[in-house]
Amino acid sequence: MRAAPVTATPTKRRAGIIAGALALVSTITLAGCQAAEPEASGDPVEGGTLVYASGDAEPTCLDPHVGGNYPQALISGQFLESLVSRDESGEIIPWLAESWQSSDDQLAWEFTLREGIEFTDGTPLDAEAVKVNVEHLKDPATQSSTGYLAMGKVDAVEVVSDRVARFVLSAPDSALLESLAQPWTAIQSPAGIARGMDANCQAPIGTGPFVVDEWVKQDHVTLVRNDDYASAPADAAHTGPAYLEGIEWRFVPDSSTRYAALQGGQVDVIDNPQPDTIAAAKGDDAFTWLDAPRPGASNRIELNSGQAPFDDERVREAFIRAVDVNDGIDSLFFGTAERSYSPLSSVEPLAYSDETLFETDLDAANTLLDEAGWTERDSDGTRMKDGARLTLRFPVSTNQSIPAEQSLFEQVQATAKEAGFDVVISPLDLSSWYGALFAHEYEIVSAPYTKVGPDVLRILYHSDSITPAPSGYFANLAQLDDPEVDALLAGAASTSDPAERAALYEQAQQLILGGHYLLPLYDQQNSFLLSADVQGARAMPTVSTPSFSDAWLID
Amino acid sequence: MSELELRQTTIDAEIAHAPAARRRQRLRLPRVGTILAGAFVVFLLVATAFPVLLETQDPNQIAPSEAFEAPSLAHWFGTDESGRDIYSRVVEGTSTSLLIGVTATVIGLALGLVLGVLAGFGGRFVDYGVNRLVEVLFAFPGLLLALLVIVVYGPGPVTATIAVGLSTAPGYARIIRGQFVAIRSSQYVEAARVLGHARGRIIVRHVLPNALIPIFVLATLGIGQAIVWASALSYLGLGAQPPAPEWGAMLAAGRTYLSVAWWMTVFPGLMIVGTTISTTVLGRALARRGRGDA
Amino acid sequence: MAHRLSGGGRSGRTLRHLGLLVGGAVFVMWAVATLTFFAIRLIPGDPAQAILGGPGSQASQEALDQVRRDYGLDQPLLVQYFAMLGRLLTGDLGDSYALKVPVADLLGAQIGGTLLLALLSLALAWVLALALSLVSTGRGRIATAVGEGVELTAAALPQFWLAAVLIAIFSTGLGWLPPVATGTPSGLVLPVVTLAIPLAGFLAQVMRESLLEAMAQPFVISARARGESAVGVRLRHTIRHAALPGISLSGWALGWLLSGAVVVETIFAIPGLGRTLLQAVTLRDIPVVTGVVLLIALVYVLMTVLTDVASRIADPRLRQEAEAQR
Repeated sequence: MRAAPVTATPTKRRAGIIAGALALVSTITLAGCQAAEPEASGDPVEGGTLVYASGDAEPTCLDPHVGGNYPQALISGQFLESLVSRDESGEIIPWLAESWQSSDDQLAWEFTLREGIEFTDGTPLDAEAVKVNVEHLKDPATQSSTGYLAMGKVDAVEVVSDRVARFVLSAPDSALLESLAQPWTAIQSPAGIARGMDANCQAPIGTGPFVVDEWVKQDHVTLVRNDDYASAPADAAHTGPAYLEGIEWRFVPDSSTRYAALQGGQVDVIDNPQPDTIAAAKGDDAFTWLDAPRPGASNRIELNSGQAPFDDERVREAFIRAVDVNDGIDSLFFGTAERSYSPLSSVEPLAYSDETLFETDLDAANTLLDEAGWTERDSDGTRMKDGARLTLRFPVSTNQSIPAEQSLFEQVQATAKEAGFDVVISPLDLSSWYGALFAHEYEIVSAPYTKVGPDVLRILYHSDSITPAPSGYFANLAQLDDPEVDALLAGAASTSDPAERAALYEQAQQLILGGHYLLPLYDQQNSFLLSADVQGARAMPTVSTPSFSDAWLID
Repeated sequence: MSELELRQTTIDAEIAHAPAARRRQRLRLPRVGTILAGAFVVFLLVATAFPVLLETQDPNQIAPSEAFEAPSLAHWFGTDESGRDIYSRVVEGTSTSLLIGVTATVIGLALGLVLGVLAGFGGRFVDYGVNRLVEVLFAFPGLLLALLVIVVYGPGPVTATIAVGLSTAPGYARIIRGQFVAIRSSQYVEAARVLGHARGRIIVRHVLPNALIPIFVLATLGIGQAIVWASALSYLGLGAQPPAPEWGAMLAAGRTYLSVAWWMTVFPGLMIVGTTISTTVLGRALARRGRGDA
Repeated sequence: MAHRLSGGGRSGRTLRHLGLLVGGAVFVMWAVATLTFFAIRLIPGDPAQAILGGPGSQASQEALDQVRRDYGLDQPLLVQYFAMLGRLLTGDLGDSYALKVPVADLLGAQIGGTLLLALLSLALAWVLALALSLVSTGRGRIATAVGEGVELTAAALPQFWLAAVLIAIFSTGLGWLPPVATGTPSGLVLPVVTLAIPLAGFLAQVMRESLLEAMAQPFVISARARGESAVGVRLRHTIRHAALPGISLSGWALGWLLSGAVVVETIFAIPGLGRTLLQAVTLRDIPVVTGVVLLIALVYVLMTVLTDVASRIADPRLRQEAEAQR
């Protein structure tokens, strides 16, 4: 399906997008079972309830404006929609907004909304609604984290007319459209928001293909079809209401139980399958594997360059040269995960990757460590210097790392030991893990970050991100403080020329990788296993959450 | 007949009329079972003190290309997800696992003993007060106790031991108090009291010996229980620190791969069950000797 | 086999006994609330942060300060303690920091399911334990050895392993039972069995000991001498003695099942107090932690009172002892 052409004047350049008319988006059909959008067979069948079993933590609030994490995105994507979306090739396409244009100085953006769209409570989708939503995101009382940061450069939203909303920025933001494509900046009914956080957390009101009917904590959320649905994104397979009558969204924390339920037919779709079950399901006609890596950063190990011993670049490079993860990734993930050599996810078109920087070379590692002065040895082989041991603290969040990844970290520990590093792994619950991070009690750590677009590099590697928020949180775990990198990232964030943006981000990534601040592992794994009865499901190219508006159940 | 003669007659009748099987039990059962149990315990002790003697390979040597191999001559118990030899890891983990099991049980028993003795013999008010205290400990969920200790002091075998020990103490206290109450109203204590012996002497000479034996048996059971409890903590993400090859942690980690590699859970599990059974069998054999087969 | 409760002039003593029971129960609740309050304060982490969305929050310093004022977190510890006690006396458990809903509503929705699971598991464990110890005690060396072996193995089985094996056999293999408990009766079978088996192993060991002692008592010997069958002897005379320690352990077992079933709740995706407690500690959600602990304490205390009364009815020795103490 082609994207709707943009009607605004073409003489002005737009940051980060090519006119929609040039974006040729069609449903991509890939042979085989692995795809972001599997080939659908047969004609759509009306009716039926899809049962989805989620292994991600149950959200504490269904409104993605509050906080803003991936479990919220998974489910809110079924009933909330954003102003714009993204297609398979990475282009921004229309969704609730049918067209947009920016001013010359990039400080004002005007979005024209689609006509005749209503929220499921009858409130019309108009510019006033958009204004209310952005204010909701920026209001401290909402406790927004992800959406709040995404709107960081937006000062206010003005109502130009019923269907036109103007975003007034404090500085040019080349990532604005990408930020608005995320579920954490979705547009909800102002009347719904006005009910207050308690009510809105239980059942947010949006324009999506489904509506929240009830939420039984720790058990399931019942979603029913929105019969008036008319606002599918530009790359959807069809424009009308969903074929499914409803979705039963269950919370099943144990991965073996999830897979057993899928095998037994108790559920139709599961997420977070263990790698060995993916490998088993790949060869089985009864299941389809939907492989949809999350956008933003790759899964990587950050090295804390802000304190000893990693304030010395030679020691950082030695660690990276010593560690051997390729065999481990192969065997632990049963061939379902590919090694990454980039700080960005492979779904980001602007990802830059350099394999040569990460070749395992134990001799080089030992040489570097000798050069750096770590020449004495402890009784168990750990290197020492001036009486201090070469100890690396590695807090691991058991809530975020699957067992295969935790085992991979053990292999990192074992291979680093050969060069004389003493890696101490501490499995911690989420709050204790954050506590260790905030207190800088780590030398290496792995923390995922999902965001649409390369702007995530600014969040992770700009020196501004070293300063913690009042809560103690900071995103620059590598403590990277390089004025050159800062300049490149700041420049890329404000330029409106796509070619210049791409070049700046490439140079930044070269510096980040070359400084040996991180060890990329693989994409943020994000797989779904579907029963063969489920047709038409796809992963949204925005943040790779599943979309069932075009899905149906055979029989 | 005097009271003593009556007692003797009763005992004689007991022996005469008891089913023959029970008589045989006293004479023969300890042999085979006890020997096997003893051998296993010796293995455990050697594994604790000199694991190197029993290991076939380095327990922490990874070999990703040899991951998930079934038991074979090269790897008696197979390999785990990182290609490490499970048999050697099980041997290496004996000391930590036993330490957790024994220490947690000792903590629980010691606390339970103190509380139980106080409750059983401290007189009415002390009994009431201690009982309420025990009930407070009971009512406080063991899970929360374990979580608190671990969250505050960090994961690891030490905190897991303390957490498990504290959670099991109230259970032991209850059982011990029950034992003391039962013994207190039994015939020989009655006789001693009637004969005018001091309370302290009664406790030391009559109650403690008779109570300690079932408590000792209980303790040997508790060792296995404690290890399993600790492994549940590992399953919840709060347990041992890698790469420590603690049996419970190996069990929890291996569970993910149950359909791919059954040997990852079965062998550590067998060690736990084997430890429980062998210590219990030995404990009961010693108890029988202590009782003098009466 | 009924025993009449003492009547008439003993009613005063009964009342006094009941009064002691109730007084003890109140004391236990107060002690638990106090212990929880101070124990939670040991956990590192800022409650204001937990209220404002957890560790990743972008809350400003003003917002954090405001929340501290609103929730009274800037008051001295003792003031906060008495404020909490006051709220508890009016039955106000507060709102969950993370979920923004009243704690009472949250727990009220879950207590039914958790209790059902706990009671069913306890009942099944009892049946299994009684059956096992009755069948295998005093019947000879082999029966005893087998019985003891079964008990020890059952008690040593970790729940998460047992659950996985049961699912593999009965769900994936035979397809008889669903792996996820969706509220239907068949969904409860596997979780109940998983909880019951280790508990049965433990109960059986205790019952076996008392059964052995009971069978060695003179009255049993004399019954056998009078010609009663072995089975009859077991059922009529010894079962009550074997069951006694089981009764007092049941109170403890129920309390343990209420929160300790967290592993089974997680595996079978059952909403329950154990999972709620674990999540609340992870998120530093203090009102929920307090609420769960108090609820479990309440159930436990009620069970204790009930079993105390039941024991006194069932065991004449205790009544004699109580009288001897007057």
